[in-house]
Parts: sequence; structure tokens; C-alpha cells
Amino acid sequence: MFFITYLRRELRCRMRQAVFIALGLALGVGLVVTVAAASAGVNKAQSGVLSALYGVGTDITVTGNAPPPHYSSAGSTQPAKVTPPSKNGQTLQISPGGGAQICDNGHCVNAAGRTYDRLIPPYQEPISASTVAVVARLHDVAAAAGVLTLVDSAITYPANSAGSPQLATFTVDGVGTGHTPVGPLAAATISSGHFFTAADSHADVAVVDSGYAASSNLKTGSTITINQVRFTVIGIDTQPQETSPPDVYIALARAQTLATATKNLGGSVANTVNLIYVAAASAADIPVVQHEISRRLPGDIVTAAGSLASQVTGSVSTAARLTSDLGKWVSVLVLIAAFAVASLLTMAAVARRAAEFGTLKALGWPTRRIIAQVLGESLATGIAGAAAGIGLGFAGAAIIAAVAPRLSATAPSSTIGSMQQVIQAGGTALGNRTVVVPLSPSITIGVIVLAVILAMAGSLLAGALGSWRIARLRPAGALALVA
Amino acid sequence: MYKLTGVTKEYQKGRAVVGALQGVDLTIADGEWLAVQGRTGHGKSTLLNLLGGLDRATGGTVELDGTDLGALRETQLTRLRAQSIGFIFQTFNLIPTLSAAENVEAALIPLRVSQAGRKARTAGALESVGLADRAAHLPTELSGGQQQRVAIARALVKEPKVLLADEPTGNLDEDTRDDIIGLLEHLWRDRGLTLILVTHDTSIARRAQRTGVMTNGHLTIRQESPNL
Repeated sequence: MFFITYLRRELRCRMRQAVFIALGLALGVGLVVTVAAASAGVNKAQSGVLSALYGVGTDITVTGNAPPPHYSSAGSTQPAKVTPPSKNGQTLQISPGGGAQICDNGHCVNAAGRTYDRLIPPYQEPISASTVAVVARLHDVAAAAGVLTLVDSAITYPANSAGSPQLATFTVDGVGTGHTPVGPLAAATISSGHFFTAADSHADVAVVDSGYAASSNLKTGSTITINQVRFTVIGIDTQPQETSPPDVYIALARAQTLATATKNLGGSVANTVNLIYVAAASAADIPVVQHEISRRLPGDIVTAAGSLASQVTGSVSTAARLTSDLGKWVSVLVLIAAFAVASLLTMAAVARRAAEFGTLKALGWPTRRIIAQVLGESLATGIAGAAAGIGLGFAGAAIIAAVAPRLSATAPSSTIGSMQQVIQAGGTALGNRTVVVPLSPSITIGVIVLAVILAMAGSLLAGALGSWRIARLRPAGALALVA
Repeated sequence: MYKLTGVTKEYQKGRAVVGALQGVDLTIADGEWLAVQGRTGHGKSTLLNLLGGLDRATGGTVELDGTDLGALRETQLTRLRAQSIGFIFQTFNLIPTLSAAENVEAALIPLRVSQAGRKARTAGALESVGLADRAAHLPTELSGGQQQRVAIARALVKEPKVLLADEPTGNLDEDTRDDIIGLLEHLWRDRGLTLILVTHDTSIARRAQRTGVMTNGHLTIRQESPNL
């Protein structure tokens, strides 16, 4: 085909210029791809942060409010009423001699060589477990799951008075034994053993997060002590990388029983949860669902992902601003420069080839045929630029992935308000929760298509400007230039 | 047949208006060979451009077979050039990136000739100018005479009625010049072309049927040879 032959010969003959234009476009496109990849990575990190704070697939969370001075309420979200502390479980007291002693049902022993183990629920109003069903039945709610988040805190006293007590804590989530599309286990995969079954509702069995299992040398069949009760590990689960899951899961009913049995708790958590995960039927339904839950549960904190996202601070937010502001504008400037260079070089090439185009016009070539030839050459250069740009973009994304530090995000824990978050914050930033997520730039098909479109647009712009000159070229004038 | 009546052509040069042609009247019969001589800048190439539909007259009419070229739209003029008029230039004007055969083939592109037809006609045209064995060569790999032969093949491959040659031997040595003029004369006789040839060379002009001389935009027919 003559068109292809002519195009190929021209590009080969003007290889240096074609390569220069293609590289210019590639640089611009590559930068756009890199920034888009970084932006996607930051978005993914942000999404990861929200998942970590929220749980994968969760749109809204409901948590109890901070309690009044006399904390209680037996499974109700109604105003609390004072109830006496539980008479069950251990208490830690100071002996008349000044040493620590562990008391159990009025019988006290010296704490030396013993472990004082208790299960602590969050310092917030519990929510009746029946509320979960009420929320789940709301219009536009796809699913809801209630969780009782707890912290097991064990203080081990040395046998002799020379040493100091050792504190060990881990987080425990009481979860439903059936599978739900939301909740702390929604995105988990079991790497060993199995999840809970309906028969495990009151059993002393636990599923342990793989990270905690590795650090505590636990495996399926091992035992773990929670509130002085030995639980058998029936499964090891793995959560998505960016999430920060609890360490141990036990059946919700068992968690309620254990937490209720804890003495000096300040109230009962029987038949309660302290966190409800809610998934809306669609993203558009989230505001309506949030409003409806807030209306029905006026005493509780209802938080949507969007409002939480706006409260997230830290390097992930800085990176998001960097990619959306600086990265975007640098890309735009480089693209404009690349387009301008491509256009100027194409215009110059057309000027240099005036005699050639004049000759073609003298031979009877219609102007549109000549323009098609020039546009074809520009498009071919654009395709090369797009390919090189995508390559540069992948390289840029790989470099970012290799050198970028892990991003941190801090969210005020009041948005969720569980004790678990306070513990996971390391106790250093009470009231805030910091999650560290990796920055993994990702190049999607959409970005690749965008790169191709941009390179094509740049080359077509250059070709169009060249074509404009050709259209204005009078054959006699062009031939006179040669003479 | 060409019929030029009171043809003028003016160019704007800064604020001044330059008259390149000033009332040219001329009739060129079909199959005639007209040589046009004159000093540089006296309107020879302008006349050729108007005859070839590469430019438009400022005044008067240029008719080819009864069609006023000045009244045609650009697309019609382009089609006319593609079908009926062949050009040969002093600087050959071959496309440097295309081979000899591809340069010749380029003249058939606007005529929508099939690829097989283009190949056959290109081969025939190169054969007729004695360059069948140079078909794959790039212009830079050919001598000046060979390049002009390729240009002649390109002009003739579409079998035009009119061949316009603007100093076709201006860049050639004496021997090559004679070869090229001999070839043109042969093709003119053989194909019954209307040949209008601009030249500085009087010996070439003498071989034409008629010779016109351009002086300050005016054309004077000086010689009518026995060929007429």
C-alpha cells in the first residue's frame, strides 16, 4: 500500500526528528502515567486506611457514645442506669503491706508469680445486640454485623520482688459465627484450620490473625488464654495487607459472657456489641442510610467513610495532595511543552518539505490526501510516543514503589471510638489511630488508554498544525521556493 | 488546445504590485511543441504555472479545451492536473525518500488506479525512459540525467494531454541535455503530446515548432520551425 510505504520511508528518513518528537511525547505521557499510578497508589493507600479503620466493604460504622460518669446499661442504647459491678472474676488490690494481691470472690492471694488477666471492653456505651438486626432491616442497607471489641490485658508479677510486673495485651473481637459480607472477617482468608461454625457460638475456640499468630508462635490446635480461659485456636486468618486487624477472634456470645464476667468492669455487656459495621446497598445510598441510622440511634456515633476520609491526616494525605496538586500540574506543563515541541517540529518539517508537497499538488494529489499522509506520520510518531511513554510510566511507577516510604495515616479515634484503636495506637496518641500502609503505584487499563489518547492527541495536534500549513500552501508558491 | 486571452498576473511585493504577465494572448494547438525563452524574472515560469493550473491569472482567461481554468474550483483544478497535465521541473522534484518506481507510481495515486495497474504502468513508464533496471534506486543513487528521466516517466505515466517542462535540462551537462531533449522529442512525436518547454537554451528552443520570448511579461512569437 502506497500510503504505508510513503509513511515508512518518511519516518525512516527523518528518524532523528521522529524519535525526538516521540521521546518528547513519551516524556509527557510517561509523567502522566507515573503521576496517575502514584495517585492510584495513594488512593489505594487511602482506601486501605479506611478499610483498616472501617473494615473492608464497610460504608458506615456505628459506635456507642462516651459513657456518663456511672457507666452501665444492660443491652440498651437508652440512657444508662447504674448497676452494681459484677461479682464475678478477679480484682487486683493493694495488700495492707503495700504489695499487689489478686482477689477472686473475696479470696485474695499475693500476686507474686501470678498473672492477673482481664478482658476490657471499650470505654463507651454498649449497643444492644438487637440493634444490629434493626439496622440490617433498614431500607438500602445491604448488610450489618455487630462486633464486641475487647482488649485482653494480662499483668504477670515476678515471683520475687526484684523484678517489675510484665504487661501483655492483645485485642479480641467477638464476632458472629456465620459469614457476613461486612465485619472484621469479611475480607479475611483462612490460611490454616477453619472459620467458626454455628456450633462454636459458646465454645472456647478462637481464630487468630496470622500476624499475631506468627509473633506469638501460635498455630491451629494451640491454646491461648483469654480472661483466664484457655481457648483452642481453630483457624489462622490472613487479612488484606493494609488493614490492621484485631489479634484474636472469638464467638460474639462467648465474648459477651467473658466480658460480663470481668469484675470492676463498671457494667454489663451481656447481649451488647460496641461496633456495628454497615454496608449500604450502593454508594449513593450511604448518606440516606447514615441519616436514617442517626435518626434511629440518636445516642450513638454514626460515621460514614467519606467523613472519616476528610479527617485522616499524615503522610498519606500529604502524598494525596502532592499527586493531585503538584503532580497534576507538572504533568500538564510537561505535556504542554511536549505538544508544543511536537507541533513546532512538525511545522518546521512541513516548511522544509514545501517543495515535496508542492510537487505532489502539481501531480494532482488532493490536499486532503497530502494532509492524511502527514497526519499518518504524526500518528505513527504518536503511537511510538505512547508506547515509550507507557514504558516510562511503568519504570516511574516501579521507581516510586522501590523508593517511596510507607505512608502513615492518622484518624481521630472518636470516629470509631473503640479501645482497640487506643491500644493499637501504642498508647502514645490516645484518641488518634495511626495506620501505616505501603504506597503501591498501580497502572490501570484506564491509565494506559489515557496515555495512548494523550500521545495521539499531541501527535494529531502537531499533525493538524502541519496540515493547516499544507492547506494554505499554493503549489506555484511551493515550487517557487525550490527554484 | 490552449487559448490565452489578455492574461495578466500580478504579485504583491511589499507595497508594490509587480506585473509578471501583462496581457498575454496565445493559442497552442493540440500536439504542438512550444518553446518559451526569456531572461530570468520575465514571466516564463509564471506562464507555465498558469497553463498548468498551478496558479490563477489576475486578469484575462486561460482556456484548456474550452474550459476556463480560472473558473474552476481548486478540487477541479487538482483533478485536471492529475488527469491531463504532466510537469517536469529543472530540479527534478523527486521525492527523496521514495524509489524511482515509487516516485513514478505517486503520479497514479490521485487517479485511483489499482495497485497492480500502478505497478504495470510504472514499469512501462520506466522502461520507456530506459530506467527499468533502476526502479528500486533512490533519487540520491541516480545521476542528474537519470533523475530527470524518472521525472519524465512520472509526468508521462498518467498519459497526459499536456507536458509542461520548466527548464528540464537546466541542471544537466551538455551530453545529458541532448539525451533528455532527444527523449522528450521522441515522446512528443510518439504520443502526440502538447509540449510547452521553458528554456534558456536557444539550440533546444530551435527544435520546437514555435518559440516565444517573454520580455517584461509580454510574449512575442519569434520563430515557427518546419516542425509546425
